[in-house]
Amino acid sequence: MDWLEDELRRALARQESPDGFADRVLARSGRGSSGARRWLAAAAMVVVAAGAGGAWRQHEGNEAKQEVMLAMRLASAPVHRIQSEVRGMTQ
Amino acid sequence: MLIGAVETGCDFRALVRQHQAMVFSIALHFLRDRATAEEVAQEVFFSLHRNLHQIESPAHAAAWLRKVAAQRAIDEGRRRSRRPQVALEDVGEPAAGAKPSDPLLSDLLRKLVATLPEAPRMVMVLRYQEDLDPAEIAAALEMPVATVKSHLQRSLAMLRGKLVRRGIGESGWTG
Repeated sequence: MDWLEDELRRALARQESPDGFADRVLARSGRGSSGARRWLAAAAMVVVAAGAGGAWRQHEGNEAKQEVMLAMRLASAPVHRIQSEVRGMTQ
Repeated sequence: MLIGAVETGCDFRALVRQHQAMVFSIALHFLRDRATAEEVAQEVFFSLHRNLHQIESPAHAAAWLRKVAAQRAIDEGRRRSRRPQVALEDVGEPAAGAKPSDPLLSDLLRKLVATLPEAPRMVMVLRYQEDLDPAEIAAALEMPVATVKSHLQRSLAMLRGKLVRRGIGESGWTG
């Protein structure tokens, strides 16, 4: 081995990483995973809210439909009565 | 993942503490900028964190980190290539009396290595920082072993020539 290679080994020897480097990496990688968990939770909440909204709209639609049907039934009763009265008079 | 980490012996916290100097130094010796080297080293470990499930053993982790650190440092060097870099003319002369084992000579060598093109520069870093043999360097940089050997020979010849022109040789400062 020649002197230049020895000098290169000395010159390019490993250096200590900056103070607190490992702590910063561990803190940021931990934040990354908890951040991902928060995003997943938020996405799940959006899906649940969208589903609940759809169910609520369907429930409201059913109620409105039942109200219309009831109104039609109520309105059709006098019409039937008048029709039968007219039918009796013509006979 | 925890079970996997116990089985493989690859605990992320331990890997960071064990290999931080290696990863940081590869980036530092290649880029010659401590702040950028720290950013690159952090990115390398975040990448390891995302890919920890692929790591099979502590030895695999070390090789993986070395390879990714080299790749990320080269990528960062390319991004910075538009900015001014160390030119050979900017490399200062060592003070009179510089001789082998002198800190000034080490600094001069680091600056001269920094003037090499990216591939031979990373080859030199892996050879003399990590003490890898040409086959290991070829695997890490995904290049033929013959190319690694050629980079080593040419880089050493170039460095030797520059040092001789500055009056520095085996027998020390001769100027």
